[in-house]
Amino acid sequence: MTIRNVRDHGQRFRPRMACLKKVESVMLEMQDPKTGVKSQPQRLVSTTIPHAITGEDIVAWLTNCYSIGAEEAWALGTMLVAFGYIYPLQDHKRLVIKPDASLYRFQTPYFWPAQQWPVEDTDYAIYLAKRNIRKRGVLALYEQVQYNSLHKWMNHKWDFIVMQAKEQYRAGKERKKPDRVVFDCQERAYWVVHRPPPGTVSAMDYGLERMVDPNTEEKQTSDFFRRIMIFTQQSIMRPRVKSSVSIGALVKYSVTYNKHDPFLAPCLPSNPWVTDDVTYWFLNMANVGIPTKMRVERWTFSFGELLSDPRGRDDFRLFLKKEFSGENLAFWEACEDLKWGTAATMNDKAQQVYKTFLTRGAPRWINIDGKTMEVTVKGLKHPHRYVLDAAQTHIFMLMKKDSFGRYLKSPVFKDTQKRAICPDQHMFSVPQLEANARKRRPSISPIIVRQLEQEERARMATSGPVDITQVMSKLSNKGKEVPPSKK
Amino acid sequence: MDGVLLSKLKNQIKKDSECKTMLDALNKVTACYRHLVIALGSTSDSQNLREELKKTRKKAQELAVANRNKLTELLKDKTTSKDDRAEYERLWVLFTSSMELLEVDMKRSLEIGQEFPLKVPTRHLIQTGMTGSTTTVAARAMSVQNMKYDADSNIDTADLKELQAEITQVGQMMEEMEMKVQVAPWAVEAKQEAGAELKSTLSVGNSSVGVISICEEDARSCPGDENCCVCIPNGTDSPYSPLL
Repeated sequence: MTIRNVRDHGQRFRPRMACLKKVESVMLEMQDPKTGVKSQPQRLVSTTIPHAITGEDIVAWLTNCYSIGAEEAWALGTMLVAFGYIYPLQDHKRLVIKPDASLYRFQTPYFWPAQQWPVEDTDYAIYLAKRNIRKRGVLALYEQVQYNSLHKWMNHKWDFIVMQAKEQYRAGKERKKPDRVVFDCQERAYWVVHRPPPGTVSAMDYGLERMVDPNTEEKQTSDFFRRIMIFTQQSIMRPRVKSSVSIGALVKYSVTYNKHDPFLAPCLPSNPWVTDDVTYWFLNMANVGIPTKMRVERWTFSFGELLSDPRGRDDFRLFLKKEFSGENLAFWEACEDLKWGTAATMNDKAQQVYKTFLTRGAPRWINIDGKTMEVTVKGLKHPHRYVLDAAQTHIFMLMKKDSFGRYLKSPVFKDTQKRAICPDQHMFSVPQLEANARKRRPSISPIIVRQLEQEERARMATSGPVDITQVMSKLSNKGKEVPPSKK
Repeated sequence: MDGVLLSKLKNQIKKDSECKTMLDALNKVTACYRHLVIALGSTSDSQNLREELKKTRKKAQELAVANRNKLTELLKDKTTSKDDRAEYERLWVLFTSSMELLEVDMKRSLEIGQEFPLKVPTRHLIQTGMTGSTTTVAARAMSVQNMKYDADSNIDTADLKELQAEITQVGQMMEEMEMKVQVAPWAVEAKQEAGAELKSTLSVGNSSVGVISICEEDARSCPGDENCCVCIPNGTDSPYSPLL
């Protein structure tokens, strides 16, 4: 028995699948004997099975019914197949509509994807056991892997699964031969959609599961009204912006980022999610030596973009090192570290920051105004995660107004810009795409990535930037003239 | 003395085998019910199918209640030995898994039944390619030779209300069972090995130690497709040697 402290079967709601109700009505329309899709019989070796439809008929019907272009009809048809409402009779592992004479068939309502019914592993285990019987033990590799894993963690139910599989197999044999063939195709198609073999793209990535149905009407209790009152009171108090201003900002954002959106412009060399080729991710890693042109262009959009990209931040740090004003960035990074770090280390980190950056005569003293300094020092008596927020904002604005502009004009940046690469677009043929899909491998474990980052940080800390007071004292000891005051 | 012990043992064995036969029956009815629900809403849907569903459902419920009574009686008995108790817990897990499947199928049949009423002027049943009847499946579930059909013509709507009530009933029964019977399902060890479905015997009481095991990929003995794994069935005349 599965653990039932949450009553399952219909009580988990997946809002992203709310479109399924609409697809069902499309399916019903397609069944109309007069205005629906024309079907033909499918001739097999020993039997003839009715109700096969061709891809081109489906696409033509969609084009007529909704008055859309052929390309959109093709996309809609592929969606119907990817969801599992229609399944291909040939090449069953590729869930696309081919607008030619390839045959498809409608799936029975029991096997339709449903928003409120999760796909159960028990059913999958029973299906695999049945398939084992049918294929006399010869399962595909990915099915084998699944079978073994299910056998391991569902072991307490395994007797049931074996019994049920045998009974279902026997009961299936009671039907006539054509129906048996259809049923096998239906079941196989269902599991291709919900447990896709490698290389198959299905539409079943349905996002989070929610405990409450977002489509139901909420009961109007006093609690409900209280929440509405609080919400409206807060909305009244919110500062308002003229729509011309906010729309102008949206337009500016869209125009600026238009070419950088992977949905609207092709990403170079190719989108890994589409072609299964990970060059794009390799070229854009955090510690890559030579960044891509698009990435460098994004740094010029705003200071926030520059700082949030680790490669951009490295470049900026290099520039500041040459100007001997690295303490601002170091302080900003220390504040981020405090905000995102573990609670246990917070006290120590705050004290370290105070000693290094804020106190009088600190080795890397930062230049913030008196009021902010007062507030920060007071807050540091009882440090919490956001105690350095005011100072961090001040330093951020300082860097943005001052250093950022000079950075964009500096030789460091210009050099990076010149060396940035622009890869060519991949042109994969269909067999190459299939080969890519087969060669998919998991990337480096995040544990290892985090270890590398920590090592890098430790290395930077030891070979830290020059302590300006030491430099000054060294120079003055040598009797040379006083070096230029730090910025 | 011996006579008393012997009769006690005989009683015990009788109870056990009764239990197992009833579980077998419930399992069979669950499997058949699933086949029937799969045909709902498609071109093999009909008045007869709705009646078959109703009859199978009622039979399943009778079996469920009988099984539950029997098993709770066995589990409540404090004098059973540890091995016996483990065996009863295993049967309990079998029973509850069957009930879960039944509950889901009942809920789905309610939903699909509501979506695809039969007595409407423009009937849009999904053209799935299945056109045959499901009489033989239902007959198997009811353990009869031929099914007799005697329902009213409005069974597709009238039955749905009953179905709703029955679903609530089943839900309540399962909650009750969960509360009253203290069985840890994850502690049960299955008797069947991986690949046991390839053996031909099948009753619940078969505590076979499967000779079959899923072997690792063996390219040499694979007929042609490198991507499959060969599981060696017992007793067939395959050219490959068993792995054990």
